[in-house]
Amino acid sequence: MSARHFRDSERVDFAVVGSGAAGGVMARELAQAGFSVVLFEQGPRLSPAEFEHDELKYWYLGGISNDSLKNPQTFRSDPAQKAEWVEGKPPLWYARTLGGTSVHFTANYWRFHEIDFNERSRLGSIPGTGFEDWPISYAELEPYYSKVEWEIGVSGLASASPFEPPRTRPYPMPPLPVKSSGVLFERGARKLGLHPFPAPMAINSQAYRGRPACVHCGFCHGFACEVMAKSSTLFSMIPEAEATGRCETRVDSYVVRIETDQRGRATGVAYFDRNRGEHFQKAQAVIVCANGAETPRLLLMSANARFPQGLANSSGLLGKYLMFNYTSRASGVFEHELNEFKSVQVTRILHDFYDSDPKRGFYGGGGLDARIGPQPTMWAQRLAMEGPSWGSAYKARLAEFARSMAVTGHGTSLPLQTNSISLDPVVKDAWGMPAMRVTYKDHPDDLANARFLQDRAVEILEAAGALRVTRTPVTEQTSSMHLLGTCRMGNDPGQSVIDRYHRCHDIRNLFLCDGSSLVTSGRGQPTMTIQALAFRAAEHIAVSAHRGEV
Amino acid sequence: MASNNTASRRLFLQTTCGTFSAAWLALHWGEVVAAARNAHQAAQSPAALPVSFLTQTEAAIVEAVAAQIIPSDSTPGAREAGVVYFIDRALATFFAHMAQHFRSQLSAFHRDCRRRYPEVESFPNLPSDRQIEWLRTIEHTPFFQSMQRLTVLGMFTMPAYGGNRDGLGWQLMGFVDQHVFEPPFGYYDRDYPGFVVEPPLSK
Repeated sequence: MSARHFRDSERVDFAVVGSGAAGGVMARELAQAGFSVVLFEQGPRLSPAEFEHDELKYWYLGGISNDSLKNPQTFRSDPAQKAEWVEGKPPLWYARTLGGTSVHFTANYWRFHEIDFNERSRLGSIPGTGFEDWPISYAELEPYYSKVEWEIGVSGLASASPFEPPRTRPYPMPPLPVKSSGVLFERGARKLGLHPFPAPMAINSQAYRGRPACVHCGFCHGFACEVMAKSSTLFSMIPEAEATGRCETRVDSYVVRIETDQRGRATGVAYFDRNRGEHFQKAQAVIVCANGAETPRLLLMSANARFPQGLANSSGLLGKYLMFNYTSRASGVFEHELNEFKSVQVTRILHDFYDSDPKRGFYGGGGLDARIGPQPTMWAQRLAMEGPSWGSAYKARLAEFARSMAVTGHGTSLPLQTNSISLDPVVKDAWGMPAMRVTYKDHPDDLANARFLQDRAVEILEAAGALRVTRTPVTEQTSSMHLLGTCRMGNDPGQSVIDRYHRCHDIRNLFLCDGSSLVTSGRGQPTMTIQALAFRAAEHIAVSAHRGEV
Repeated sequence: MASNNTASRRLFLQTTCGTFSAAWLALHWGEVVAAARNAHQAAQSPAALPVSFLTQTEAAIVEAVAAQIIPSDSTPGAREAGVVYFIDRALATFFAHMAQHFRSQLSAFHRDCRRRYPEVESFPNLPSDRQIEWLRTIEHTPFFQSMQRLTVLGMFTMPAYGGNRDGLGWQLMGFVDQHVFEPPFGYYDRDYPGFVVEPPLSK
């Protein structure tokens, strides 16, 4: 457990809100730089022995994630509509446990490419969207990508993709062993003249930094790793933060408000403890890493007389430009067993269609990968959406599970002001706080790109010798696990929420770093970039704090 | 099943021995063993439960509908997997918030079925082809959709929840409930020669 304990009245250097992919990095970097840190987490601290292969619990009963009863969300596709409460799995799904969503993620760790940062300049504007260049370049972020690979732990093969952006170091671990889906994907893609390569994964292929290698149990996606081979911040960053003796992880603590003083500076965070007792932790500076949905919600909930539209919202863009990424999919059945329920989700990917190509007639690009997706129960439900949902025909298809795989396309989402996180005017959560209201509708180009990638997926499966290929219908998204873009980074305070170092334009000692910082969506695997941003931001925040400029 | 479980647990322990650092093992051995043991105990717990929420009439209808969703033919279906017990237990516990709604849908189903087929007491008494014929007409109703989802959950989630008896659902799919696997994982990765880096693209 966390050894250090700070009193609420003790003014710590940093209150970090959210212990996931970004928060874990931030806490570790700042604690190692000599600062006192309280790392807040809504959910509990769980040990690996508590993680189970329990689909019902993890996918249907809340498990370690947010759930629609305690943490209700409302959804609408059009800002003119009234948003309705969504029963069952919440539209925006994330883990609510120490380590955040890095505990239950799939651990695909692609770097963004150079184009992701300057695409607006390369392609021109797209009317009706907030398509913009980032204020930073790939080259500026590259050292931090390497840091993620080495300090978090990523398995992969450098220079295996001809489309790979420049890198300064190889991966610290070789790729994970290829699965049958990877072999078939590679076979099919090469027949088509494409360039498949071993998937970079934040999962240990060999013992690394005191954690064991993957035992190939197959329960990564939506589950926590019981052997600690998945490089979640729960196992990688947070123990190292605590080992400094300067970081307290405060779990079961739900931050509901950031307070500001007369000068408009953040003074600390108000939170509920596990017994719903209210507390206020004083801090010199506040860093919010609560994810692309909870971060803007917290800033909106923190509205006060001085900042009536929410903190850091002088641009009016707080919560806007929500982006999901689109995952389109085709599935193939083969003659022999693949047994895709074993081992990590993805072992082969390709980036041949990464860049947008005006000749296609729409904006967008993406990567393709080989995987199965969910384990038995979710897979059975997906089948029911793609064909007969009952009777002997359905049963015959269920029996094909071990001979099946999917090729998924991971694509762009355009930033639209109408896609947003806001506070629901009516629905409250179990603590009486305003529920998250999600407004989202895919841009037509996002859907066109998803269909384009799905067509490529079908071709790869057919070239690989699939006996039968089916498509998951490409329809407008109403849910996501990629929560991006809602507090965008930029140089112009009128057009963005944070500056190039993640400092809010409006409040000097308030920083935001997570999926909300992204200006564009990338191509579907954002966590690697979120953590590179966190390493970079932490370095700058530490320098500023040492100079007394926070 | 028992010998399989013992074998897979032994494999789990052996493999973890090979990959864990000694220091990590010393600290966490108890937890690792406990996790493995809990999972296997859960898998072996008795599945047959008396119905607690559903009445006998309701349970018979639920079981018959589930048996049409995943029928028993050359391999076991929802009936053998005890899906009805899962559904009963779910409605009594973790899905209790939807239980009354489900019950009213079920009673409407029962009423409509008797109106359409006055010659029988209840849906389970219909011959199978009549059952299928009737279900085709109502397959888009909320009741049938709920039944479809609950049947899938009862067929494929952990046996500890009352369904998926003896792992019959997993057997149907070819899923193996085991904590540790080693390559090769399937047919196609058996003779994989290794990844060959291709020459750079000429742009």
